[in-house]
Amino acid sequence: MTYDVIKEAVAKQQSGDKKLSNENHILGKVMTFYIGEQIYGIEIQNVVEIIEMTHITKVPHVPPYIKGMINVRSKVVPIIDIRTRFDKEEIPYTSRTCIIILSLDDVTVGIIVDRVADVEDIHSGDISATPENNSVNVNAFIQYMIRSGDIVKLILDVEKLLGDEI
Amino acid sequence: MARIEPGMEAMLDMYFYETNTLLEQLDEILLRTEQANCFDSEDIKEIFRIMHTIKGSSAMMGFDNLSVLAHKAEDMFFVIRENPDVITDVSFVYDLVFQVSDSYKAQIEAIQNNEDGEYESTDFSELIDKLLKARDVLMGVAEAPAADSGAAAHAAESAAEAAPSADPNKTTVKVFFEDGCQMENLRAFLLINTIRDECSFLEFTPADVETNPDSSKLIVENGFVITFTPIDNVDFVLKQIESALNVQSYEIVSAAAPAEEAPAAELPPEPKAEAPAAIAAPAAVESPAAKEQSAVEKAQAAVEKAQAASGMQKQNLISVNLAKLDALHDIVGEIITTESMVISNPDLEGLELESFNKAARQLRKLTSELQDTVMSIRMVPLAGVFQKMNRIVRDMRKKLGKEVDFLIEGEDTEVDKSIVDSLQDPLMHLVRNCMDHGIEENVQDRIKAGKPEKGTLKLIAQNASGEVIITVSDDGKGIDPEKVLSKAKRQGLLTKPESEYTEKEIQNMILLPGFSTNEQATEFSGRGVGMDVVKANVEKCGGSITIDSKKGHGTSFIIKIPLTLAIIDGMEVTCGGMVFTVPISTIRESFKVEASQIVRDTNNNEMIMIRGVCYPILRMHDKFGIETKVTDLEDGILLLVETDNKSVCIFADKLIGEQQVVVKPFPKYLSRYNIKSAGLSGCTIMGDGSISLIVDTNTLIG
Repeated sequence: MTYDVIKEAVAKQQSGDKKLSNENHILGKVMTFYIGEQIYGIEIQNVVEIIEMTHITKVPHVPPYIKGMINVRSKVVPIIDIRTRFDKEEIPYTSRTCIIILSLDDVTVGIIVDRVADVEDIHSGDISATPENNSVNVNAFIQYMIRSGDIVKLILDVEKLLGDEI
Repeated sequence: MARIEPGMEAMLDMYFYETNTLLEQLDEILLRTEQANCFDSEDIKEIFRIMHTIKGSSAMMGFDNLSVLAHKAEDMFFVIRENPDVITDVSFVYDLVFQVSDSYKAQIEAIQNNEDGEYESTDFSELIDKLLKARDVLMGVAEAPAADSGAAAHAAESAAEAAPSADPNKTTVKVFFEDGCQMENLRAFLLINTIRDECSFLEFTPADVETNPDSSKLIVENGFVITFTPIDNVDFVLKQIESALNVQSYEIVSAAAPAEEAPAAELPPEPKAEAPAAIAAPAAVESPAAKEQSAVEKAQAAVEKAQAASGMQKQNLISVNLAKLDALHDIVGEIITTESMVISNPDLEGLELESFNKAARQLRKLTSELQDTVMSIRMVPLAGVFQKMNRIVRDMRKKLGKEVDFLIEGEDTEVDKSIVDSLQDPLMHLVRNCMDHGIEENVQDRIKAGKPEKGTLKLIAQNASGEVIITVSDDGKGIDPEKVLSKAKRQGLLTKPESEYTEKEIQNMILLPGFSTNEQATEFSGRGVGMDVVKANVEKCGGSITIDSKKGHGTSFIIKIPLTLAIIDGMEVTCGGMVFTVPISTIRESFKVEASQIVRDTNNNEMIMIRGVCYPILRMHDKFGIETKVTDLEDGILLLVETDNKSVCIFADKLIGEQQVVVKPFPKYLSRYNIKSAGLSGCTIMGDGSISLIVDTNTLIG
């Protein structure tokens, strides 16, 4: 989703106009997953597939969050551990640990997540922008948030995640 | 601004591909014939055909300016085709056709680069004027000797009709259409089409009946003049003309000499073309002897050309989308992985399966054949890129007025398609640089230096131990280290005191961004963006570039590129649970050591003495930061590797064995990290699906 779409959705909610703020249509789908207790999401168009945790071949001279490479059907894909990337403590991999293969343009990367949750619709009424304060490292990768009830889901900005080092 | 016609977008890709291929063919023919200084009738026909096809497809796509341009070029070659002798040393024809080809490429690129369907339609009227003028000049040249030969052969024939009746085998008729039948030009065109198959030669005036409606007026006034040589029988053709639609009457202006008709029909076209030339000889400027000699030269050139043509591999056999090949390649990889999963399946353990094993062996053989084939599909020879360099050298030779021999070697070296594409720009830059800066401006300088007057520019490709080495070298003035150094100083590129730079380092400064030794930028090079772009481009496809230059003796640029999809023979070694592949071509030997053989220097660097030579030891686990239990040199294995005259002993845990592996580049995401310069060139997927890293001994040692 582009930032314009997000801005528009947020602006409509805050406009005060009853008709506009109650507008609630589906903007797309996200795939959600857990890192610890927090739910994160990735827009579905960037997700290629989910695979089970497998043996990862280490690569020297890369930052610690790049765990190495795996072979996904004859394609060599680098693997990022989201926990390490977000400066969270590492936990041992379990049977629920998954690798989500993402692609953006011609770059393909796998991310390690604690467990995959669901695929759900994005309702424009649920979108909210991230707080202005971007000093926290994690925030830099969050494009927007989705509230459903008390739960807040953080939607990752794949472009930044796969882009140059921040 | 012009727009691409709606509905044509789908055809655009095909059009671009086809036209570009044709233009490349055109360039190739022109270069070849220009070098041999002789067009043979096949070449002319080919050029004519190319122009004709481009004209047609451009018109179909609605690119009128391109269509008209091709039409005019076609016209010019029509004249040449009818009178091959006019071309002898008409170098302006080459320049013109090259110009046409360039204008085409530029316009097509402009169209291609505009995604929204709008493009700037270039005005070619100037070039078209030139083409028209050239055609007229050629016509003049063509008619003069033809008239002479006609006079020599048939003195009795009237001079006014000389041109068309020059050949004794030709018959000229004047056709009149029915009064008021309208559209005479199209009727004339239809008539021509009817008799075309019956004639080995056909010419008519007005010649532009197909395209010019105004020509009908001329036909009404003067009649439609057709000159033809029948394949079979004159009367048959005449009957056809007579019975054609709307033809009122025809009169024979000059008939074929009946006596000569029969033998002429049987003669092959070549001697026939030679015959009038021989008759025309006295009238021509050249003496008969000279003419004979030029004929001999022509024959020689033709032989050379034939040899060159057989050596050149035509690439235009089939075009396949590269993505499809990639997909095919991936599937084959999967099949191989799956195959080993099936064959070495744990469920089969302990079973006696004679027939299964037999079938499995057969399957393995077939899959490996399949893999080899798929691999070879992606490999294309460098010939295409090298031929383009030929063109550049030709242009610069003319523009700069430098006499240079251009030698190409190893153009049949095969490299992965994607690499071939990304090599074009760097090579172009290098060739230009050699021509512009390398070769001396003044021939006197060359003579003084004891070099032949003519410079030599070499472009050599060769396969060497899993990589392709491309060398661009000239025998020009070489790089002057002092000049480079002072220039670098002025540009503020120096990072240490001048005296500390070695000659090699100084030469490599040329590759720095913003460095250009030429005081004045020329049309071809010297803006100081060239060399660092070359370096970046070469590195992008995983290669490296080095300079070897000697002041006064010339400069060589050496590009080394890996074959991304190449199969290399590798030695698998383990180190702390990871598998590495060392190219066998670099391994001299592998051995176990005893502690007594180890020597340590004052910095506690480990070395080993083998047959009186001391080699440093490089511990793989230290270099790549791997944890391993094997840290004692006596427990592991040592591999003596050598590249570029540098040797080192690599210490690893264990040897697994030899295996042919497919080199894959590192994933794009990882390209931002410095893996490549740290001793790893790529990775490979092994039979069991795991990934092995390929050691690049070159950067490992350096």
